[in-house]
Amino acid sequence: MLLDVIQCVESGRFVIIQDSVQCCGRQLLQSFMCAALKREEVVHVLAFDVAEEDLRVPSDSGCAQRLCFHDGYTDPLGWNDSPPLTVLQFSPGEIHALLSRSEHPKPVTLVIDSLSWVLRHHPPAVVCQCLQELRRGGAVRSIVALLHSDLHQQGIVGSLCHLATAIVTVAPALRGHHTVAKTTRRTRSGRVTQEEECFIIKEDLTVTVQKQTHHPGQRDTEQEEPQADPAAHLTFNLRLSEAEKEAKDKLSLPFVFSQEKKSALLQPRPGAGQIIYEPDANDDFDQEDPDDDLDV
Amino acid sequence: MAAPLRSGIGVGSRQDTRAVHGTSFQKKSRGKLVSIPGTRPSVQNGQLLVSTGVTSLDYVIGGGLAVGTLLLIEEDKYDSYSRMLLKYFLAEGVVCGHSLFLGSARDPPEEILQELPAPVLDDIGCAAGDEGQAKLCDSEGEDSMKIAWRYQNFPKVQTALAASSRFGHYYDVSKTMDPEMRQASKCNTFFLPDELPLKSEAEPSTMNAGYRALLRSIQNLIHREGFDTAAPQNKSRNILRIGLHSLGSPLWGDDICCKESPSDAVSLTSFLYGFRALLRSSLCVGMVTVPSHLIQNRAIMGRVTKLCDTAIALESFRGSERETNPLYKDYHGLLHVRQTPHLNCLVCEVPDTKDLAFKLKRKQFAIEPHAAVDLLVRQPPSEPPIEPPTARRGRPVRDYMCNCKSCSPSVCAMQPGSGRGGVGGGGELLSDMAGI
Repeated sequence: MLLDVIQCVESGRFVIIQDSVQCCGRQLLQSFMCAALKREEVVHVLAFDVAEEDLRVPSDSGCAQRLCFHDGYTDPLGWNDSPPLTVLQFSPGEIHALLSRSEHPKPVTLVIDSLSWVLRHHPPAVVCQCLQELRRGGAVRSIVALLHSDLHQQGIVGSLCHLATAIVTVAPALRGHHTVAKTTRRTRSGRVTQEEECFIIKEDLTVTVQKQTHHPGQRDTEQEEPQADPAAHLTFNLRLSEAEKEAKDKLSLPFVFSQEKKSALLQPRPGAGQIIYEPDANDDFDQEDPDDDLDV
Repeated sequence: MAAPLRSGIGVGSRQDTRAVHGTSFQKKSRGKLVSIPGTRPSVQNGQLLVSTGVTSLDYVIGGGLAVGTLLLIEEDKYDSYSRMLLKYFLAEGVVCGHSLFLGSARDPPEEILQELPAPVLDDIGCAAGDEGQAKLCDSEGEDSMKIAWRYQNFPKVQTALAASSRFGHYYDVSKTMDPEMRQASKCNTFFLPDELPLKSEAEPSTMNAGYRALLRSIQNLIHREGFDTAAPQNKSRNILRIGLHSLGSPLWGDDICCKESPSDAVSLTSFLYGFRALLRSSLCVGMVTVPSHLIQNRAIMGRVTKLCDTAIALESFRGSERETNPLYKDYHGLLHVRQTPHLNCLVCEVPDTKDLAFKLKRKQFAIEPHAAVDLLVRQPPSEPPIEPPTARRGRPVRDYMCNCKSCSPSVCAMQPGSGRGGVGGGGELLSDMAGI
């Protein structure tokens, strides 16, 4: 499912990559950038945590044109003259202005590295409102943000994740160079899927999923053994041959009349009975839907 | 469908007889309020009730929502089912012809309104298709009915009540409501990002700007459209359903979700206080969803619950270890009734059982007492066999009946019985008799 999240092109998506001091999620962020560039999307990066060189992705010239860095690392608080980007500029209006400065009019993918730095300087409610406004605005097609979840109170992380359409939590695997990603994805209709996967990021920043460590819901199906056919070994005959079927059809059941007699009886006669039924609020009517097991 | 006509005739004839005999007897006329569609008086205290849109939820909270009260829904972790309940609440308003008000800070209200589930109305097309159906039976059913052929000429009987006369409806969540139907009802919306730039300058207030704007908007609507009880009674009255989505979330500018000791801890509570005061003096009924799992300070959540009349909490199994627990395999989550209203009385309606679980089916949001009852019958195989009780040991019978932690003794003492068994049996009996 991690690959689905990386390749998803749904508009208005908001992915949070949660990492901690044990496991860095920046490389995964870079693979998100790389995948977006390969899809011919315009990528804007708000880099607060690390310098531009550390966040570069290997790319050809066409990609480099569509990748736009906004450096918030060298002068984050605007102490020098004319800083390129300060953290105080993190508001819907200012970001829209930044995005419109580039010549690509297409909707963009906004990459934020990282939200933790922004949260140090803005109240969480303001950050949430800003992100939601950006998603809704139309200029931004999707937002991918890194969040160092061990730096913040649980409530702040929870509030931000409440807004996200997909959350990827990275953690080190027990052995090897793998990283474990726990992905939670929420669709527009409110359906939630969760999966835990082991993955490796190659040198060209493509993600390869090694194996699925845990798949909730799958365990149940595996445990179920194939049911033995109960009609397999019977001491009596349960099936009918063709000849037997014919003979059975020929047999006339009691109270089954010939066509003529039936139609004569079915003619409405004067004085015949009639059933009148008016539904009442107190009737015990079974609302159970026989098709409930079909997929909602 | 024939019912209104018949009752009309009945009234007419009664008036005639009164004219003839000249008695002073007059039938006690019901209050004006009862004539509002989609409402009914409570059997306990006579309060005017409206349906939440989920029939089983109505039952759990004591028949329905009393007009002038507020229902709090504590959201499940991913806001899937609480959002569904909000949509049911609004859809019920559309079907009953009530006015709607929807406030939201996250998704535009129009988006939520577009997703309203389609009502299952079984009276649609029945009148037209009645004769057609009878004929259909005539031609096709000739050979299909071998035993009960006597019934093949009878017209099909409509077994369900006409939907409009019912209290509470069923909805098909796989379809969305017809836009024409939706637009027939008056709907007002409040979307915080659209409203907030219009706000006046910061006034000294205990409420933050978002809540203040919302409360003003509701207040204006109630006065403008005449939903307050002080308004002149001459014109026909209607109910206003107010749904507020994800109140208290950071998008409303509230920080109770983020911090243990938030800077404006009283914002939400003052809003609810004002909101409830508005509801009490008007023909409105409110539903508020709150992401309680994010609210850090339990004291605030306690205050919020106290300020609402009815409070329920949804706990979805999605993403928790309970999802794979065989005990809960038939359900999507648990429903906790936190509070039921005390209306004009000292004691409140107490639900039969507190161990409730819900399941979202295609045509029904079902709330049932959960599998604790089943445990009495089917013990898990890993458990050692339980010895039958003996009088010598003197152990209370209840102890061995159920040893799961989750259910309370009161449930375990309950007899399994759904009250549904008799219906199917009766039907079969009838068809058997028909053949003979």
